[in-house]
Amino acid sequence: MRIKPQYSSERGFTLFAYVFMTLLALVCILPCIHVAAKSISGGTLVVGGQIFLFPKQIQFDTMGYILKKTAFFNCLKNTIIVTVLGTFISMFTTITTAYPLSKPSLRGRRVIVLLYVFSMVFFGGIVPAYMVVNTLGLLDTYWALILPFAIIQFNMFVVKSYFEGIPESIEEAAYIDGAGDVQTLTMIVLPMSTPIIATVSLLYAVNYWNNYFHAMMYTSSSSMKTLQVYLYDTIENGQALLENLYGGAFGSTVGQSLVNITTGGIVAAAVTLSIIPIILVYPFVQRYLIQGITIGSVKG
Amino acid sequence: MKKSTQSFWNYVKAHPFLYIMLIPGLFFLFVYKFWPLYGLTMAFKNYSIFAGTNPMNAIRASEWVGLKWFRTLFSSSQFSIVFTNTLAINFLKIIWLFPIPICAAILLTSIRLPWYKKALTTAIYVPYFFSWVIIYGIFYSLLGSYGILNTFLSSIGLDRIMFFTDSRFFRSLLIFTEGWKEIGYNTIIYLAAITSIDPTLYEAAKIDGANKIRQIWHVTLPGLLPTIVLMLILKVGYILDTGFEQVLIFYNPAVYDVADIIQTYVYRIGLGQANFSLATALGLFNSVVAFILVVGANAISRRSLGRSIW
Repeated sequence: MRIKPQYSSERGFTLFAYVFMTLLALVCILPCIHVAAKSISGGTLVVGGQIFLFPKQIQFDTMGYILKKTAFFNCLKNTIIVTVLGTFISMFTTITTAYPLSKPSLRGRRVIVLLYVFSMVFFGGIVPAYMVVNTLGLLDTYWALILPFAIIQFNMFVVKSYFEGIPESIEEAAYIDGAGDVQTLTMIVLPMSTPIIATVSLLYAVNYWNNYFHAMMYTSSSSMKTLQVYLYDTIENGQALLENLYGGAFGSTVGQSLVNITTGGIVAAAVTLSIIPIILVYPFVQRYLIQGITIGSVKG
Repeated sequence: MKKSTQSFWNYVKAHPFLYIMLIPGLFFLFVYKFWPLYGLTMAFKNYSIFAGTNPMNAIRASEWVGLKWFRTLFSSSQFSIVFTNTLAINFLKIIWLFPIPICAAILLTSIRLPWYKKALTTAIYVPYFFSWVIIYGIFYSLLGSYGILNTFLSSIGLDRIMFFTDSRFFRSLLIFTEGWKEIGYNTIIYLAAITSIDPTLYEAAKIDGANKIRQIWHVTLPGLLPTIVLMLILKVGYILDTGFEQVLIFYNPAVYDVADIIQTYVYRIGLGQANFSLATALGLFNSVVAFILVVGANAISRRSLGRSIW
């Protein structure tokens, strides 16, 4: 007699779990699908609010307009340069800092660790940081978007604690075989640390890729715009872009294509094109990203 | 004393490369993290960017004015507005959003189909990797004045809801989009904590006749408690440091009264109006309070949970 109600309450709970989690997942995914559908749907339907999840009157004029007539590719190029170069510099600095600091015997270790911890919890603020970048003559260069973020203290501590977990006996064996500190790091420690290196590289890359505020603050010329700045400007100025298009150079070549290009469509297409690179990379890196989150939580 | 300095140099001589390796990191640390700290003296000076040969040099050349900017700041009505907004927005986010990932993680554990569970996890945490600008674009498409929701509302004869420009709705927009971006990420943190709970505890609970809900109450939640407390302490500790980029991207003059936070205000008066000293004074106030909060949070976490944030 006792078993039956228990069984059904469990069923009810599981059912609730399926329903609740499915709804949550839909809330996360459907907005993206809506925007993607809008980006390739016919202009009058977009304006009329008739596009929900499936594109109708499929057209690629809006996408074509973004890709060909705006600075999209140049901004994408800037973002890729900053992300790739920045991630390399960050990983080099992070590893070369984390490795010595992972050695308990290192003299002066506590002082240096304290410096990094202090800089992590006390900020100079926006204005002084801007003054430093300005003084160094880095404004409006790629370096302004890389060097101030070359080492993120938290990431360095994650790598450091991973290195600390490598058994000392392995490194000692390398020393006995005559390897110096550099060889031990490159030949022994790094090959054993590929998961953490992949994860932290990704954390850095995501950080560089998504950086909007600093790109906006530190660059001014239009050729230096990054993808995030481009996207923000497009959303804010969609209307102005459109007026340019109608009044501007190819106003005479009207035809179907102009009917399709609308403010809402332009925003949707720019957002979709900015999401595509992330979605393409995501399946390959998901494992490391989850690992990154878990490490973050374990380390706190 | 002498002996220890001697052994220090012996150690350096034995491992020169360990110290050479530290140079790049320390270089960046001093130039981009510690040099700006010197820049904080701007808060006590009448800073003019043209007073020296370069902006940092100009700090030294500018005259001291003591606490002038702090007096200006604390007596201005704008200060109390941005301070209240900062606390209000972040506390509202914690109140509304904090429990959701905990529930989501617990619910996910009772989803048995592995592929479906994986699909759900993937779906809820993709938004975490979108930048705030992308999220702004997505929600502009959904909730903007010509977004899908408002087109629908006006088509059935209702008034449009101006989420982006109406002070009554703007904070809800901030809270909702914050949740949209962060819930998946936090769910995975709790999920990781759940998987580290000793499975024999569940076995024991089952033998004692505990059903699913009782198992959650008596095993899962107690197992999660340290993580929950730690996350809460962290959230409160970082209350002055979060949300800046989101607000900066989403807000506009129409909603300054409910959305303007300390850091957006610092940015506007500093780099927008070139009132560098006043902005630095507010920035310094923010940094000091944030520092006390974070260090306090860490002390509480270490005392109550034995876990240090760093």
